[in-house]
Amino acid sequence: MKTFFKLFAAQAKELLRDRMSLFWYIAFPVIFILIFGAIFSGGTNLNFEVGIAAESEGPVSQGIVQAFEAVESFTMHTGSREEELEALRAGNRSAVLVIPAAVEQLVSVPGGMPGQGASSSIAEPVKVEVLYDKGQQQTTSIVLSIVDQLLEGIEQQLTGKTRLLVADQKPVAAEQLRDIDFLLPGILAMAIMQLGLFGSFNIVSLREKKVLKSLGATPLPRVMLLGSEILVRVLLSLFQTLLIIIIGRLVFDVQVTGPWYQVIATVLLGSVTFISFGYLLTLFSKSEESGIGLVQLVQFPMMFFAGIFFPTTFMPDFLQPLVKIIPLTYLGDLLRHVMVSMPTEYPIVTSLLVLGGVTVVSVIGSVLLWRWE
Amino acid sequence: MTCIKVKDLKKSYGSLQAVDGISFEVRPGEIYGLLGPNGAGKTTTIEMLVGLRTRDSGTVDILGYDPQVAPEKVKSGIGVQLQSPAMFPRLTVLELVELFASFYQDPLPVDEVIEMVGLTEKKKAQSRKLSGGQMHRLAIALAIVSNGRIIFLDEPTTGLDPQARRNLWEVILGLKKSGKAVFLTTHYMDEAEKLCDWVAIVDQGRIIAEGHPETLIDEHFKERALEFEQPAYVNEKRLEKLTGVKKIVTDGDLVTLYTETVSQTIAELFDLAKETGQPVNDIAVRRSTLEDLFLKLTGRRIRE
Ligand SMILES: Nc1ncnc2c1ncn2[C@@H]1O[C@H](COP(=O)(O)OP(=O)(O)OP(=O)(O)O)[C@@H](O)[C@H]1O
Ligand SMILES: [Mg+2]
Repeated sequence: MKTFFKLFAAQAKELLRDRMSLFWYIAFPVIFILIFGAIFSGGTNLNFEVGIAAESEGPVSQGIVQAFEAVESFTMHTGSREEELEALRAGNRSAVLVIPAAVEQLVSVPGGMPGQGASSSIAEPVKVEVLYDKGQQQTTSIVLSIVDQLLEGIEQQLTGKTRLLVADQKPVAAEQLRDIDFLLPGILAMAIMQLGLFGSFNIVSLREKKVLKSLGATPLPRVMLLGSEILVRVLLSLFQTLLIIIIGRLVFDVQVTGPWYQVIATVLLGSVTFISFGYLLTLFSKSEESGIGLVQLVQFPMMFFAGIFFPTTFMPDFLQPLVKIIPLTYLGDLLRHVMVSMPTEYPIVTSLLVLGGVTVVSVIGSVLLWRWE
Repeated sequence: MTCIKVKDLKKSYGSLQAVDGISFEVRPGEIYGLLGPNGAGKTTTIEMLVGLRTRDSGTVDILGYDPQVAPEKVKSGIGVQLQSPAMFPRLTVLELVELFASFYQDPLPVDEVIEMVGLTEKKKAQSRKLSGGQMHRLAIALAIVSNGRIIFLDEPTTGLDPQARRNLWEVILGLKKSGKAVFLTTHYMDEAEKLCDWVAIVDQGRIIAEGHPETLIDEHFKERALEFEQPAYVNEKRLEKLTGVKKIVTDGDLVTLYTETVSQTIAELFDLAKETGQPVNDIAVRRSTLEDLFLKLTGRRIRE
């Protein structure tokens, strides 16, 4: 135990004194956040093109249209049902709402605008059609949740009833989701990936420099060496998480909503996934240098196609299969969900299975192919 | 009572027979030296003894265990300095010695060991900032701190300045005094003569001579070595005729005559010089050394 502690301290010091590595592991992602945050925080929020087709020109319909136009992240287009559907098919709308004429009946007081009158009895709910492109899951889920909230709010005003049950407002409601909220968890995911992939090459460097050989003549079980190294890096991932969250909070006012244990558990899972994947990669490279090249080759596509910087739905269809086989995609998705309550694009179970699967395969592969010399 | 027992040890790399049937025994309190030129198989031998390399055949017994069967038992009882030691580059001397001390049951006091190898002033220096010789001394400190019953040193004094070398000899003799066995390799004959209770001269993977250094020399040399630069015109035939010359070895320009009657031979050599009108340059008379022995046995110098 004492040996493990000493070894852990040794590896931690070794890493902390390596300014270059620290820069890449810790400072680089932070700089990324600052730069991208600065670029995107200038009001260019997530924006969705939403079409609205009102069948009636009555006051209620107009009120609804106005309410939607007030939503900052929506750019509204009004037109006939057919026109808007056409635009949706052409990919120019994220969603189209069809407001039926029946909504006018909801208010009995003539000229009564939302907020004043209240109809006493509504026989059955009026259906507002929301049409969307099934392919764009993430966009859709954001839009739908905003639409839902709005309709709820409008209805409440129409009926004038105070709700008996009020959902506790999520601190980051969908309408407030900004680019930085999207970006921050993604960059954390990227940092975790880099820490895992590049960090694993430390062992290659030790092997190349014959440090492993020198240690091999001592009674130290070499597995302990590996264990302490992994622990150092997992802890560094947690530190990285904390740092990114603090910076997000202080500089960009990003509120982390998820329960802490979920954030930590997700970070740990990601960290372990990419560390083990990194070890597997080390086994396919002869030297540290060629290994770093290999990691670059693996990590660049991951970085760009995993939807770290923008939703993957913005990517052309032919890239979608690539997006789906990248483990980072799932880590980013999970982190966005647990950190800023962004709706997940993939079922949580799928993401957990993918990350867990990559870990298991990597660990088994590494154990089978492992070499100390 | 032996602590190292090796029998017919063999190892080949492809077609190269690096170690070709070596046998020896080492007892506690003994300094055993493996002496030989580059590529003789010294490092390969040491690495097989300490469990870093597998052998092709033969038996090895270190402190009662076979390093291939129970490497952890062997490793916890020995201290090892490898020929090209490497350490975590960003840890300091003190941190590294402490780290290594934590690997062993009953290590020596860290400060004492650092003092022994003369690195006290460099305690706080990161290992990557040490000079070659300092790094080497650090590696020796890491071997010694184990307090192992056998200390393996692969070329402990290579690259050390003369002062550091003599200091290290004292350290090694101190280890012997405390009852440890020391197994070392070296190219330096003077080192082997000064330190070793027993030397084995290896060449091309085989032991070509072994024994106590002085006995070994006495056995092979009744004569002294007379060394000089060969004047181009003097051929070996004429040198052979000089009185007392037992053997002549030429190595480039350097001629070594082994003679039982030094003064007679010198006188005749000068006569020869006068006769041909050319001076004899850089003449030196030496007591025979292990180096001479190696030269005599193999016809080559131990250091190229
Ligand atoms: N890993 C290896 N693969 C192939 N050949 C090797 C390997 N290690 C050593 N050799 C060869 O085995 C022979 C013995 O090498 P070894 O390192 O044991 O020599 P040495 O006596 O320690 O030499 P030196 O005095 O230069 O340290 C050399 O010819 C060397 O080239
Ligand atoms: Mg060697």
